[in-house]
Amino acid sequence: MTVSDIPSRRARRTSVARQREIGVAYVLLAPTVILLVGVLAYPIAWEIWVSLTDLSPLNDGPARFVGLENYRRLAGDPQFWHAATVTIVYAVVTSVAKLGLGMVFALLLARPFRGRAFVFLAVFLPWAYPASVSVIGWYWTLSPPIPTAYSVFMGTLKWAVDSALGGGAWAFLSVTLFNIWRGSSFIGVFLLAGLNAVPPELFDCALLESKSAWRRFWLVTVPLLRPFLALAVFLSITTAFSDLTNVWMLTAGRIVFPVVGTQAYWLAIKSGQFGPGSALSLALVPFLLAVLVVFFWMFDRPETRRARGTA
Amino acid sequence: MKPWSRWRKAAHAALLVLVTVYCLFPIYFMLVQSLKTAEEDVFGNPLIVRHPTFENFEELFELRSGPARGYVGSVLRRSYPFLDWLENTLILFTGAVVITLVASVLAAYALGRLQPPGFRTWRRVIFASYIVPHTILFVPLYQVIMKLGLDDNLLALLIVYPTLAIPFCVWVLSAYFQHLPREVEESAFVEGAGRVATFFRIVLPMSRPVLVTAGIFALGTIASDFTLASVFLLSAHNQTIPAGLATMEVALDELLAVAGINLMAIPVVLICAVLARGYVRGLTASMLEGS
Repeated sequence: MTVSDIPSRRARRTSVARQREIGVAYVLLAPTVILLVGVLAYPIAWEIWVSLTDLSPLNDGPARFVGLENYRRLAGDPQFWHAATVTIVYAVVTSVAKLGLGMVFALLLARPFRGRAFVFLAVFLPWAYPASVSVIGWYWTLSPPIPTAYSVFMGTLKWAVDSALGGGAWAFLSVTLFNIWRGSSFIGVFLLAGLNAVPPELFDCALLESKSAWRRFWLVTVPLLRPFLALAVFLSITTAFSDLTNVWMLTAGRIVFPVVGTQAYWLAIKSGQFGPGSALSLALVPFLLAVLVVFFWMFDRPETRRARGTA
Repeated sequence: MKPWSRWRKAAHAALLVLVTVYCLFPIYFMLVQSLKTAEEDVFGNPLIVRHPTFENFEELFELRSGPARGYVGSVLRRSYPFLDWLENTLILFTGAVVITLVASVLAAYALGRLQPPGFRTWRRVIFASYIVPHTILFVPLYQVIMKLGLDDNLLALLIVYPTLAIPFCVWVLSAYFQHLPREVEESAFVEGAGRVATFFRIVLPMSRPVLVTAGIFALGTIASDFTLASVFLLSAHNQTIPAGLATMEVALDELLAVAGINLMAIPVVLICAVLARGYVRGLTASMLEGS
């Protein structure tokens, strides 16, 4: 749409008016850009710079530039690799589960049945329920204070899980479950919006093409939902990676379940090692950038194709 | 379409029940706990409440004096300035959602309608800022806040919170604005209306579902933050409900905290529930309609 109508637009409007329009656009962008630069860009630049130094409030004198020393030390640190593995496993496991469950929710809700409004609301609520407080509730439910009626049950469960699968398994399970509970709700509603956007005739056509619901799902539903799926996966992976809050709260800040986020928090805030802490928190950013590139590729492709079709 | 066999119907119904229970159980559990007396919490059935009481909620509202320690019965307990937390939370959430919406609508209009050169790149860069985990930025962010003289001040979060939701909101809104047919505005221009008047009278009312989506997303995201609030708001009187609840003592104030959780969650959940359908409609609209 853009390529073809740029000349016609030029013909319609004088270039002075267009220049003014562009100026207005920059003014309108200003609040967003100022907020993002102040809150995100400056801190990132600081973080990158500090990761190359040995800055720490515990050292005397100015920070020394140490080059890639912090990163080199990370690469040789088995604890880092453990945390990185846990983080990636956590992100992948939760994303796959959220996507699967979300898809089930969306497909269930896409066709009418009695009581659909109620089930829809039920699916919507885990996300709408503020995670900042539900995480506190989850923590106290999963690790209840001794006198409560269910503390024995929960204690036994935790012991059973930990002794069957190794220490920290219960912590991993509780964090994963919470993330999936909340995330599947978001993704389910999101994919439902995607399904609603698909003209129903397409599904009717598909019904004539193939009898197997399974084949129709993979050949018709999934490709049609691709931009939504891409956005959902992207949001899910990024939130899992930056997930410090949930892990911190559900394991009460202990390092039974090291993810890169909590490790960096310990290193930078609790022990004042700003340099290595910054290096640690930046270590997984290249991975996230790769995810972002894949996302843009998947998301924008159908749009450009459609645009070419209508032009 | 063929009518379903009895077995398929039964399986469908069972699946629906399963999904509903899975989604609602944790919420139900927290609600039940908050309605219990201490006695029932210890001896009763954890899944039901026999003698519901609002005493936990009432207790939260009784004291405003700030963190003080004193004996209640024979147990040493702290009291919490819950009303302050409530007030702070209300101010902060309203303010942050409004700032998010205003900033996102302006930016999205610029990108979707005015389309300055390279607007696709702008949009991508703004969206890409979503991958920055805020939680790794405490130290530098704190410096910014200190420079502005805003530490231990709600204003600090009023600046930080919108950036959590703006990337997504700009993305959704600008996609919608971009897909609105040009004629919508041009007919108004022909009649002599200015760009500003057209925006407020035509474009904004048309995009109400998408605004609902952006607003709900902003509210949900902002209400979910716990770490930033507890890092930037230090003194008890300045905290929000999540930050404050996390300072409670686990063993002694469990019921009180669960009541606090519900008090915070219920308004947010109600707002979201009322607008839930609009949320889905807006998401759908921003992605495909009008393209």
